[in-house]
Amino acid sequence: MIAYAVTILFLLLAAPLLTGVIKSLKMVLLYKRPVSVFQGYRTFSKLLVKETMLSAESSQITRVAPYLVLSPLLVALLFLPPAVSGAWYVSFVDAFTLTGLLSLSTFFLMLLGLDSASSFGGMGSSREAFIAAMVEPAMVLTVFSVSMMAGDLGVGAAGVNLAHRFPAGHTASFVFAAISFFILLIAENGRIPVDNPETHLELTMVHESMILDLSGFYLALIETAASVKFVIFASLFASLFMPFGLELPLLAAFGVFALKLLLIALAVALIEVNTAKLRLFKVPNLLGIAIVFSFLSLITFYVLGA
Amino acid sequence: MSAFLTGAFLATLVAALFATRLYRLLMWYALNSLALGLLALLIGSGLNDPALIISGVLTLLLKAGVIPLVLKRLTQRFALTRQVTPDIKVHYAVVLIPAILVFTFYLAEPIGRMVGGNANSVAVAISSLFLALLLMMEHRNVAPKIIGFLMMENALFLLGTTATGGMPMLVELGIFFDLLIAIVVINLLFRREEAVE
Repeated sequence: MIAYAVTILFLLLAAPLLTGVIKSLKMVLLYKRPVSVFQGYRTFSKLLVKETMLSAESSQITRVAPYLVLSPLLVALLFLPPAVSGAWYVSFVDAFTLTGLLSLSTFFLMLLGLDSASSFGGMGSSREAFIAAMVEPAMVLTVFSVSMMAGDLGVGAAGVNLAHRFPAGHTASFVFAAISFFILLIAENGRIPVDNPETHLELTMVHESMILDLSGFYLALIETAASVKFVIFASLFASLFMPFGLELPLLAAFGVFALKLLLIALAVALIEVNTAKLRLFKVPNLLGIAIVFSFLSLITFYVLGA
Repeated sequence: MSAFLTGAFLATLVAALFATRLYRLLMWYALNSLALGLLALLIGSGLNDPALIISGVLTLLLKAGVIPLVLKRLTQRFALTRQVTPDIKVHYAVVLIPAILVFTFYLAEPIGRMVGGNANSVAVAISSLFLALLLMMEHRNVAPKIIGFLMMENALFLLGTTATGGMPMLVELGIFFDLLIAIVVINLLFRREEAVE
Protein backbone atom coordinates (compact mmCIF):
# COMPACT_ATOMS: atom_id res chain seq x y z
CA MET A 1 0.00 0.00 0.00
CA ILE A 2 2.71 2.44 1.03
CA ALA A 3 4.94 1.47 -1.90
CA TYR A 4 1.98 1.93 -4.27
CA ALA A 5 1.19 5.40 -2.95
CA VAL A 6 4.84 6.41 -2.86
CA THR A 7 5.34 5.29 -6.50
CA ILE A 8 2.42 7.37 -7.69
CA LEU A 9 3.54 10.40 -5.70
CA PHE A 10 7.07 9.94 -6.99
CA LEU A 11 5.87 9.76 -10.61
CA LEU A 12 3.66 12.80 -10.16
CA LEU A 13 6.43 14.84 -8.57
CA ALA A 14 9.12 13.65 -10.96
CA ALA A 15 7.05 14.43 -14.07
CA PRO A 16 8.17 18.07 -14.51
CA LEU A 17 11.69 17.07 -13.53
CA LEU A 18 11.86 14.45 -16.30
CA THR A 19 10.81 16.88 -19.04
CA GLY A 20 13.23 19.41 -17.53
CA VAL A 21 16.02 16.84 -17.72
CA ILE A 22 15.30 16.25 -21.41
CA LYS A 23 15.33 19.96 -22.09
CA SER A 24 18.60 20.66 -20.32
CA LEU A 25 20.25 17.54 -21.78
CA LYS A 26 19.31 18.78 -25.23
CA MET A 27 20.78 22.19 -24.50
CA VAL A 28 24.01 20.62 -23.23
CA LEU A 29 24.24 18.48 -26.36
CA LEU A 30 23.76 21.58 -28.53
CA TYR A 31 26.51 23.46 -26.61
CA LYS A 32 24.06 25.92 -25.10
CA ARG A 33 24.07 26.90 -21.47
CA PRO A 34 21.40 24.59 -20.03
CA VAL A 35 18.35 25.78 -18.13
CA SER A 36 17.92 24.34 -14.66
CA VAL A 37 16.30 20.91 -14.53
CA PHE A 38 13.86 22.37 -12.00
CA GLN A 39 12.51 24.91 -14.51
CA GLY A 40 9.25 22.94 -14.74
CA TYR A 41 8.44 23.55 -11.08
CA ARG A 42 9.33 27.25 -11.38
CA THR A 43 7.08 27.69 -14.41
CA PHE A 44 4.28 25.91 -12.58
CA SER A 45 4.47 28.11 -9.51
CA LYS A 46 4.79 31.23 -11.67
CA LEU A 47 1.71 30.30 -13.70
CA LEU A 48 -0.29 29.74 -10.50
CA VAL A 49 0.04 33.37 -9.43
CA LYS A 50 -0.53 34.78 -12.92
CA GLU A 51 -3.90 36.15 -13.97
CA THR A 52 -6.05 33.80 -16.07
CA MET A 53 -7.34 35.45 -19.22
CA LEU A 54 -9.99 33.88 -21.40
CA SER A 55 -10.84 34.73 -24.99
CA ALA A 56 -14.22 36.43 -25.43
CA GLU A 57 -15.18 33.83 -28.04
CA SER A 58 -14.50 30.86 -25.82
CA SER A 59 -17.40 28.97 -24.29
CA GLN A 60 -17.82 26.96 -21.12
CA ILE A 61 -15.63 24.20 -22.62
CA THR A 62 -12.46 26.21 -22.12
CA ARG A 63 -13.20 26.42 -18.39
CA VAL A 64 -13.87 22.70 -18.04
CA ALA A 65 -11.56 21.06 -20.57
CA PRO A 66 -8.20 21.64 -18.80
CA TYR A 67 -9.42 19.59 -15.83
CA LEU A 68 -10.71 16.90 -18.16
CA VAL A 69 -7.37 16.81 -19.97
CA LEU A 70 -5.49 16.23 -16.75
CA SER A 71 -7.84 13.91 -14.87
CA PRO A 72 -7.81 10.85 -17.21
CA LEU A 73 -4.02 10.97 -17.05
CA LEU A 74 -4.11 11.06 -13.26
CA VAL A 75 -6.43 8.05 -13.30
CA ALA A 76 -4.10 6.25 -15.71
CA LEU A 77 -1.26 6.95 -13.30
CA LEU A 78 -3.03 4.77 -10.72
CA PHE A 79 -3.11 1.80 -13.11
CA LEU A 80 0.57 1.57 -14.02
CA PRO A 81 2.63 -1.55 -13.30
CA PRO A 82 4.43 -1.39 -9.93
CA ALA A 83 8.02 -0.19 -9.63
CA VAL A 84 8.94 -2.50 -6.76
CA SER A 85 7.91 -6.07 -6.05
CA GLY A 86 5.29 -6.54 -3.37
CA ALA A 87 3.64 -3.22 -4.11
CA TRP A 88 -0.03 -3.04 -4.92
CA TYR A 89 -1.17 -2.88 -8.49
CA VAL A 90 -4.51 -2.76 -10.28
CA SER A 91 -4.91 -6.06 -12.09
CA PHE A 92 -8.04 -5.59 -14.22
CA VAL A 93 -6.81 -2.72 -16.41
CA ASP A 94 -5.88 -3.89 -19.90
CA ALA A 95 -4.53 -2.27 -23.06
CA PHE A 96 -7.95 -0.93 -24.08
CA THR A 97 -8.61 0.88 -20.80
CA LEU A 98 -5.20 2.49 -20.75
CA THR A 99 -5.38 3.60 -24.39
CA GLY A 100 -8.94 4.79 -23.85
CA LEU A 101 -7.94 6.96 -20.91
CA LEU A 102 -5.09 8.51 -22.87
CA SER A 103 -7.30 9.20 -25.87
CA LEU A 104 -9.99 10.70 -23.64
CA SER A 105 -7.42 13.21 -22.52
CA THR A 106 -6.40 13.85 -26.13
CA PHE A 107 -10.06 14.31 -27.09
CA PHE A 108 -10.58 17.09 -24.56
CA LEU A 109 -7.31 18.69 -25.63
CA MET A 110 -8.62 18.79 -29.20
CA LEU A 111 -11.92 20.28 -28.03
CA LEU A 112 -9.97 22.91 -26.14
CA GLY A 113 -8.06 23.79 -29.29
CA LEU A 114 -11.26 24.16 -31.30
CA ASP A 115 -13.06 26.16 -28.64
CA SER A 116 -10.74 29.16 -28.65
CA ALA A 117 -12.01 29.93 -32.19
CA SER A 118 -8.57 30.96 -33.37
CA SER A 119 -7.35 29.48 -36.62
CA PHE A 120 -4.26 28.08 -34.92
CA GLY A 121 -6.26 26.07 -32.43
CA GLY A 122 -8.36 24.39 -35.09
CA MET A 123 -5.29 23.58 -37.14
CA GLY A 124 -3.56 22.06 -34.14
CA SER A 125 -6.63 20.00 -33.28
CA SER A 126 -6.93 18.63 -36.79
CA ARG A 127 -3.25 17.67 -36.78
CA GLU A 128 -3.55 16.05 -33.38
CA ALA A 129 -6.57 14.04 -34.58
CA PHE A 130 -4.57 12.97 -37.63
CA ILE A 131 -1.74 11.69 -35.44
CA ALA A 132 -3.93 10.20 -32.70
CA ALA A 133 -5.90 8.15 -35.21
CA MET A 134 -2.73 6.30 -36.16
CA VAL A 135 -1.29 6.09 -32.66
CA GLU A 136 -4.23 4.35 -31.01
CA PRO A 137 -4.35 1.08 -32.98
CA ALA A 138 -0.61 0.65 -32.60
CA MET A 139 -0.80 1.37 -28.87
CA VAL A 140 -3.59 -1.18 -28.29
CA LEU A 141 -1.79 -3.84 -30.32
CA THR A 142 1.59 -3.27 -28.68
CA VAL A 143 0.41 -3.33 -25.09
CA PHE A 144 -1.87 -6.24 -25.88
CA SER A 145 0.95 -8.21 -27.47
CA VAL A 146 3.38 -7.63 -24.61
CA SER A 147 0.76 -8.55 -22.04
CA MET A 148 0.03 -11.75 -24.00
CA MET A 149 3.73 -12.58 -23.75
CA ALA A 150 3.61 -11.98 -20.02
CA GLY A 151 0.63 -14.31 -19.77
CA ASP A 152 -1.77 -11.81 -18.22
CA LEU A 153 -3.97 -9.29 -20.01
CA GLY A 154 -3.81 -6.86 -17.11
CA VAL A 155 -1.05 -4.32 -17.65
CA GLY A 156 -0.01 -4.22 -13.99
CA ALA A 157 0.18 -7.99 -13.68
CA ALA A 158 2.02 -8.15 -17.02
CA GLY A 159 4.76 -5.90 -15.65
CA VAL A 160 5.18 -8.09 -12.59
CA ASN A 161 5.13 -11.33 -14.60
CA LEU A 162 7.71 -10.06 -17.07
CA ALA A 163 10.07 -9.13 -14.26
CA HIS A 164 9.67 -12.48 -12.50
CA ARG A 165 9.93 -14.73 -15.51
CA PHE A 166 11.21 -13.10 -18.67
CA PRO A 167 9.81 -14.83 -21.81
CA ALA A 168 13.22 -15.61 -23.32
CA GLY A 169 11.63 -17.69 -26.10
CA HIS A 170 9.74 -14.66 -27.36
CA THR A 171 12.65 -12.23 -27.77
CA ALA A 172 11.81 -11.40 -31.39
CA SER A 173 8.22 -10.34 -30.79
CA PHE A 174 9.28 -8.58 -27.57
CA VAL A 175 11.79 -6.44 -29.51
CA PHE A 176 9.20 -5.64 -32.21
CA ALA A 177 6.79 -4.48 -29.52
CA ALA A 178 9.53 -2.39 -27.86
CA ILE A 179 10.40 -0.61 -31.14
CA SER A 180 6.75 0.10 -31.79
CA PHE A 181 6.15 1.40 -28.29
CA PHE A 182 9.16 3.69 -28.41
CA ILE A 183 7.89 5.28 -31.63
CA LEU A 184 4.53 5.77 -29.91
CA LEU A 185 6.25 7.34 -26.91
CA ILE A 186 7.81 9.91 -29.22
CA ALA A 187 4.67 10.51 -31.26
CA GLU A 188 2.18 10.80 -28.41
CA ASN A 189 4.33 13.18 -26.41
CA GLY A 190 5.02 15.49 -29.32
CA ARG A 191 8.78 15.04 -29.34
CA ILE A 192 10.89 16.03 -32.29
CA PRO A 193 10.42 13.76 -35.28
CA VAL A 194 6.68 14.30 -34.93
CA ASP A 195 6.21 17.66 -33.21
CA ASN A 196 8.61 20.22 -31.83
CA PRO A 197 7.78 21.07 -28.21
CA GLU A 198 9.83 24.26 -28.24
CA THR A 199 8.90 26.37 -31.23
CA HIS A 200 5.85 28.47 -31.77
CA LEU A 201 6.17 28.34 -35.51
CA GLU A 202 2.88 28.02 -37.33
CA LEU A 203 4.10 25.39 -39.77
CA THR A 204 5.46 22.98 -37.23
CA MET A 205 3.44 23.04 -34.09
CA VAL A 206 0.77 20.59 -33.02
CA HIS A 207 0.50 20.57 -29.26
CA GLU A 208 1.55 24.18 -28.74
CA SER A 209 -1.01 25.57 -31.16
CA MET A 210 -3.91 23.99 -29.28
CA ILE A 211 -2.90 25.66 -26.03
CA LEU A 212 -1.89 28.98 -27.52
CA ASP A 213 -4.83 30.88 -26.05
CA LEU A 214 -4.53 29.56 -22.52
CA SER A 215 -2.95 31.41 -19.66
CA GLY A 216 -2.45 31.27 -15.93
CA PHE A 217 -3.90 28.36 -14.00
CA TYR A 218 -5.32 26.58 -17.05
CA LEU A 219 -1.96 26.66 -18.79
CA ALA A 220 -0.35 25.23 -15.65
CA LEU A 221 -2.87 22.37 -15.73
CA ILE A 222 -2.19 21.61 -19.39
CA GLU A 223 1.59 21.74 -18.97
CA THR A 224 1.30 19.39 -16.01
CA ALA A 225 -0.84 17.10 -18.15
CA ALA A 226 1.85 17.06 -20.85
CA SER A 227 4.59 16.11 -18.41
CA VAL A 228 2.37 13.53 -16.66
CA LYS A 229 1.65 11.97 -20.04
CA PHE A 230 5.36 11.66 -20.72
CA VAL A 231 5.96 10.09 -17.33
CA ILE A 232 3.13 7.60 -17.93
CA PHE A 233 4.66 6.51 -21.22
CA ALA A 234 8.19 6.42 -19.80
CA SER A 235 7.12 4.36 -16.81
CA LEU A 236 5.13 1.96 -19.03
CA PHE A 237 8.19 1.52 -21.22
CA ALA A 238 10.40 1.05 -18.16
CA SER A 239 8.23 -1.63 -16.56
CA LEU A 240 7.08 -3.47 -19.70
CA PHE A 241 10.18 -3.33 -21.90
CA MET A 242 13.00 -3.12 -19.35
CA PRO A 243 11.67 -5.71 -16.92
CA PHE A 244 14.45 -6.09 -14.38
CA GLY A 245 15.39 -4.82 -10.97
CA LEU A 246 12.00 -5.42 -9.39
CA GLU A 247 13.34 -8.06 -7.02
CA LEU A 248 15.95 -5.81 -5.42
CA PRO A 249 15.44 -4.38 -1.91
CA LEU A 250 12.90 -1.56 -1.79
CA LEU A 251 15.20 1.45 -2.08
CA ALA A 252 17.46 -0.14 -4.69
CA ALA A 253 14.43 -1.08 -6.78
CA PHE A 254 13.23 2.52 -6.66
CA GLY A 255 16.71 3.69 -7.65
CA VAL A 256 16.79 1.30 -10.61
CA PHE A 257 13.35 2.47 -11.68
CA ALA A 258 14.43 6.13 -11.54
CA LEU A 259 17.56 5.25 -13.52
CA LYS A 260 15.43 3.58 -16.19
CA LEU A 261 13.31 6.72 -16.48
CA LEU A 262 16.48 8.82 -16.84
CA LEU A 263 17.76 6.44 -19.50
CA ILE A 264 14.56 6.89 -21.51
CA ALA A 265 14.88 10.66 -21.12
CA LEU A 266 18.46 10.44 -22.40
CA ALA A 267 17.37 8.35 -25.41
CA VAL A 268 14.62 10.85 -26.26
CA ALA A 269 17.04 13.78 -25.92
CA LEU A 270 19.58 12.08 -28.20
CA ILE A 271 16.91 11.39 -30.83
CA GLU A 272 15.68 14.97 -30.60
CA VAL A 273 19.16 16.37 -31.14
CA ASN A 274 20.03 14.04 -34.00
CA THR A 275 16.91 14.10 -36.15
CA ALA A 276 15.06 16.78 -38.01
CA LYS A 277 11.36 17.23 -37.57
CA LEU A 278 9.34 15.28 -40.10
CA ARG A 279 6.96 17.03 -42.44
CA LEU A 280 3.42 16.48 -41.21
CA PHE A 281 2.51 14.29 -44.17
CA LYS A 282 5.61 12.17 -43.55
CA VAL A 283 4.47 11.43 -39.99
CA PRO A 284 2.24 8.54 -41.15
CA ASN A 285 5.40 6.81 -42.46
CA LEU A 286 6.80 6.71 -38.94
CA LEU A 287 3.49 5.73 -37.38
CA GLY A 288 2.95 3.19 -40.14
CA ILE A 289 6.18 1.54 -39.04
CA ALA A 290 4.83 1.53 -35.49
CA ILE A 291 1.55 -0.09 -36.56
CA VAL A 292 3.25 -2.69 -38.72
CA PHE A 293 5.71 -3.54 -35.97
CA SER A 294 3.00 -3.89 -33.36
CA PHE A 295 1.08 -6.18 -35.67
CA LEU A 296 4.27 -8.05 -36.52
CA SER A 297 4.92 -8.57 -32.84
CA LEU A 298 1.44 -9.99 -32.28
CA ILE A 299 1.52 -12.24 -35.34
CA THR A 300 5.05 -13.46 -34.62
CA PHE A 301 3.99 -14.32 -31.11
CA TYR A 302 0.82 -16.08 -32.22
CA VAL A 303 1.81 -17.94 -35.36
CA LEU A 304 5.50 -18.55 -34.85
CA GLY A 305 5.68 -18.47 -31.07
CA ALA A 306 8.96 -16.57 -31.29
CA MET B 1 19.75 -15.00 -29.78
CA SER B 2 18.89 -16.66 -33.06
CA ALA B 3 15.26 -15.57 -32.65
CA PHE B 4 16.43 -12.02 -32.05
CA LEU B 5 18.59 -11.98 -35.20
CA THR B 6 15.82 -13.45 -37.31
CA GLY B 7 13.54 -10.76 -35.90
CA ALA B 8 16.11 -8.07 -36.72
CA PHE B 9 16.33 -9.42 -40.28
CA LEU B 10 12.57 -9.01 -40.76
CA ALA B 11 12.50 -5.69 -38.90
CA THR B 12 15.09 -4.06 -41.16
CA LEU B 13 13.21 -5.28 -44.23
CA VAL B 14 9.94 -3.80 -42.95
CA ALA B 15 11.70 -0.53 -42.15
CA ALA B 16 13.15 -0.50 -45.69
CA LEU B 17 9.63 -0.73 -47.09
CA PHE B 18 8.83 2.63 -45.51
CA ALA B 19 12.08 4.38 -46.42
CA THR B 20 11.85 7.32 -48.79
CA ARG B 21 15.54 8.10 -49.21
CA LEU B 22 18.03 6.02 -51.16
CA TYR B 23 20.88 6.20 -48.63
CA ARG B 24 18.51 5.22 -45.84
CA LEU B 25 17.45 2.26 -47.97
CA LEU B 26 21.10 1.27 -48.39
CA MET B 27 21.58 1.51 -44.63
CA TRP B 28 18.63 -0.80 -44.02
CA TYR B 29 20.06 -3.22 -46.59
CA ALA B 30 23.42 -3.18 -44.78
CA LEU B 31 21.75 -3.82 -41.42
CA ASN B 32 19.67 -6.59 -42.99
CA SER B 33 22.81 -8.26 -44.26
CA LEU B 34 24.51 -7.72 -40.90
CA ALA B 35 21.74 -9.62 -39.14
CA LEU B 36 21.93 -12.34 -41.80
CA GLY B 37 25.72 -12.70 -41.51
CA LEU B 38 25.61 -12.87 -37.72
CA LEU B 39 22.86 -15.47 -37.94
CA ALA B 40 24.92 -17.55 -40.37
CA LEU B 41 27.92 -17.32 -38.02
CA LEU B 42 25.74 -18.34 -35.07
CA ILE B 43 24.23 -21.33 -36.86
CA GLY B 44 27.61 -22.26 -38.34
CA SER B 45 29.34 -22.28 -34.98
CA GLY B 46 26.39 -24.25 -33.57
CA LEU B 47 26.71 -26.90 -36.28
CA ASN B 48 30.51 -26.70 -36.29
CA ASP B 49 30.41 -26.20 -40.04
CA PRO B 50 33.41 -24.24 -41.42
CA ALA B 51 31.73 -23.70 -44.80
CA LEU B 52 28.82 -21.87 -43.20
CA ILE B 53 31.19 -19.77 -41.10
CA ILE B 54 33.12 -18.78 -44.22
CA SER B 55 29.96 -17.78 -46.06
CA GLY B 56 28.82 -15.88 -42.95
CA VAL B 57 32.06 -13.90 -42.92
CA LEU B 58 31.75 -13.30 -46.66
CA THR B 59 28.19 -12.07 -46.12
CA LEU B 60 29.35 -9.66 -43.44
CA LEU B 61 32.19 -8.34 -45.58
CA LEU B 62 30.49 -8.19 -48.97
CA LYS B 63 26.82 -7.58 -48.33
CA ALA B 64 27.04 -5.48 -45.18
CA GLY B 65 30.12 -3.54 -46.26
CA VAL B 66 31.22 -3.54 -49.87
CA ILE B 67 27.96 -3.70 -51.80
CA PRO B 68 26.21 -0.79 -49.99
CA LEU B 69 29.34 1.33 -50.39
CA VAL B 70 29.69 0.44 -54.08
CA LEU B 71 26.02 1.20 -54.67
CA LYS B 72 26.40 4.52 -52.88
CA ARG B 73 29.43 5.37 -55.01
CA LEU B 74 27.56 4.44 -58.20
CA THR B 75 24.59 6.55 -57.13
CA GLN B 76 26.89 9.49 -56.64
CA ARG B 77 28.71 8.97 -59.90
CA PHE B 78 25.56 8.76 -62.00
CA ALA B 79 23.76 11.40 -59.92
CA LEU B 80 20.65 9.27 -59.52
CA THR B 81 17.58 10.66 -57.78
CA ARG B 82 18.00 9.97 -54.10
CA GLN B 83 14.42 10.74 -53.21
CA VAL B 84 12.59 7.49 -53.85
CA THR B 85 8.99 7.64 -52.71
CA PRO B 86 7.14 4.32 -52.73
CA ASP B 87 4.22 4.18 -55.15
CA ILE B 88 2.07 2.39 -52.60
CA LYS B 89 0.69 4.89 -50.09
CA VAL B 90 1.50 4.36 -46.45
CA HIS B 91 -2.16 3.94 -45.57
CA TYR B 92 -2.42 0.97 -47.89
CA ALA B 93 1.01 -0.39 -46.94
CA VAL B 94 -0.06 -0.49 -43.29
CA VAL B 95 -2.80 -2.94 -44.27
CA LEU B 96 -0.93 -4.73 -47.03
CA ILE B 97 2.26 -5.64 -45.15
CA PRO B 98 0.54 -7.33 -42.18
CA ALA B 99 -1.72 -9.16 -44.67
CA ILE B 100 1.35 -10.48 -46.50
CA LEU B 101 2.93 -11.46 -43.19
CA VAL B 102 -0.11 -13.39 -42.02
CA PHE B 103 -0.52 -15.06 -45.41
CA THR B 104 3.09 -16.16 -45.65
CA PHE B 105 3.34 -17.27 -42.04
CA TYR B 106 0.45 -19.64 -42.62
CA LEU B 107 1.83 -20.57 -46.03
CA ALA B 108 5.14 -21.56 -44.44
CA GLU B 109 3.57 -23.73 -41.77
CA PRO B 110 3.67 -27.08 -43.64
CA ILE B 111 7.21 -26.40 -44.84
CA GLY B 112 8.22 -25.52 -41.30
CA ARG B 113 6.77 -28.81 -40.05
CA MET B 114 8.83 -30.62 -42.68
CA VAL B 115 12.04 -28.82 -41.71
CA GLY B 116 11.68 -29.26 -37.99
CA GLY B 117 14.24 -27.26 -36.00
CA ASN B 118 14.27 -23.81 -37.55
CA ALA B 119 10.60 -23.58 -38.53
CA ASN B 120 10.41 -19.91 -37.50
CA SER B 121 13.35 -18.84 -39.61
CA VAL B 122 11.88 -20.61 -42.61
CA ALA B 123 8.61 -18.73 -42.15
CA VAL B 124 10.49 -15.43 -41.77
CA ALA B 125 12.55 -16.20 -44.88
CA ILE B 126 9.49 -16.88 -47.00
CA SER B 127 7.71 -13.76 -45.78
CA SER B 128 10.87 -11.71 -46.43
CA LEU B 129 10.86 -13.08 -49.96
CA PHE B 130 7.40 -11.64 -50.49
CA LEU B 131 8.21 -8.36 -48.73
CA ALA B 132 11.33 -7.91 -50.87
CA LEU B 133 9.15 -8.49 -53.92
CA LEU B 134 6.85 -5.76 -52.60
CA LEU B 135 9.88 -3.49 -52.22
CA MET B 136 10.71 -4.08 -55.88
CA MET B 137 7.13 -3.48 -56.91
CA GLU B 138 6.48 -0.32 -54.97
CA HIS B 139 9.34 1.68 -56.47
CA ARG B 140 9.65 3.12 -59.94
CA ASN B 141 13.38 3.92 -59.96
CA VAL B 142 16.08 1.41 -60.75
CA ALA B 143 18.17 1.75 -57.59
CA PRO B 144 15.48 0.75 -55.04
CA LYS B 145 14.43 -2.12 -57.32
CA ILE B 146 17.99 -3.38 -57.17
CA ILE B 147 18.01 -3.15 -53.40
CA GLY B 148 14.78 -5.13 -53.42
CA PHE B 149 16.47 -7.75 -55.57
CA LEU B 150 19.45 -7.92 -53.19
CA MET B 151 17.09 -8.22 -50.22
CA MET B 152 15.36 -11.08 -51.99
CA GLU B 153 18.74 -12.75 -52.41
CA ASN B 154 19.29 -12.29 -48.66
CA ALA B 155 15.96 -13.95 -47.97
CA LEU B 156 16.92 -16.91 -50.14
CA PHE B 157 20.24 -17.18 -48.31
CA LEU B 158 18.37 -17.20 -45.00
CA LEU B 159 16.04 -19.91 -46.33
CA GLY B 160 18.99 -21.96 -47.52
CA THR B 161 20.91 -21.58 -44.28
CA THR B 162 18.09 -22.33 -41.87
CA ALA B 163 16.11 -24.92 -43.80
CA THR B 164 19.02 -27.13 -44.76
CA GLY B 165 21.58 -26.29 -42.10
CA GLY B 166 23.92 -24.80 -44.68
CA MET B 167 24.06 -25.40 -48.40
CA PRO B 168 27.18 -26.90 -49.98
CA MET B 169 30.05 -24.42 -50.11
CA LEU B 170 30.14 -24.51 -53.90
CA VAL B 171 26.54 -23.35 -54.17
CA GLU B 172 27.11 -20.49 -51.77
CA LEU B 173 30.22 -19.31 -53.59
CA GLY B 174 28.26 -19.54 -56.82
CA ILE B 175 25.62 -17.25 -55.30
CA PHE B 176 28.29 -14.75 -54.31
CA PHE B 177 29.67 -14.71 -57.85
CA ASP B 178 26.14 -14.22 -59.12
CA LEU B 179 25.90 -11.25 -56.86
CA LEU B 180 29.09 -9.74 -58.23
CA ILE B 181 27.80 -10.24 -61.76
CA ALA B 182 24.58 -8.56 -60.65
CA ILE B 183 26.58 -5.56 -59.46
CA VAL B 184 28.25 -5.32 -62.88
CA VAL B 185 24.84 -5.52 -64.57
CA ILE B 186 23.56 -2.86 -62.19
CA ASN B 187 26.41 -0.62 -63.24
CA LEU B 188 25.32 -1.03 -66.87
CA LEU B 189 21.70 -0.37 -65.92
CA PHE B 190 22.67 2.82 -64.16
CA ARG B 191 24.54 3.96 -67.25
CA ARG B 192 21.44 3.25 -69.32
CA GLU B 193 19.22 5.18 -66.98
CA GLU B 194 21.61 8.06 -67.16
CA ALA B 195 21.48 7.90 -70.94
CA VAL B 196 17.67 7.88 -70.92
CA GLU B 197 17.51 10.86 -68.60
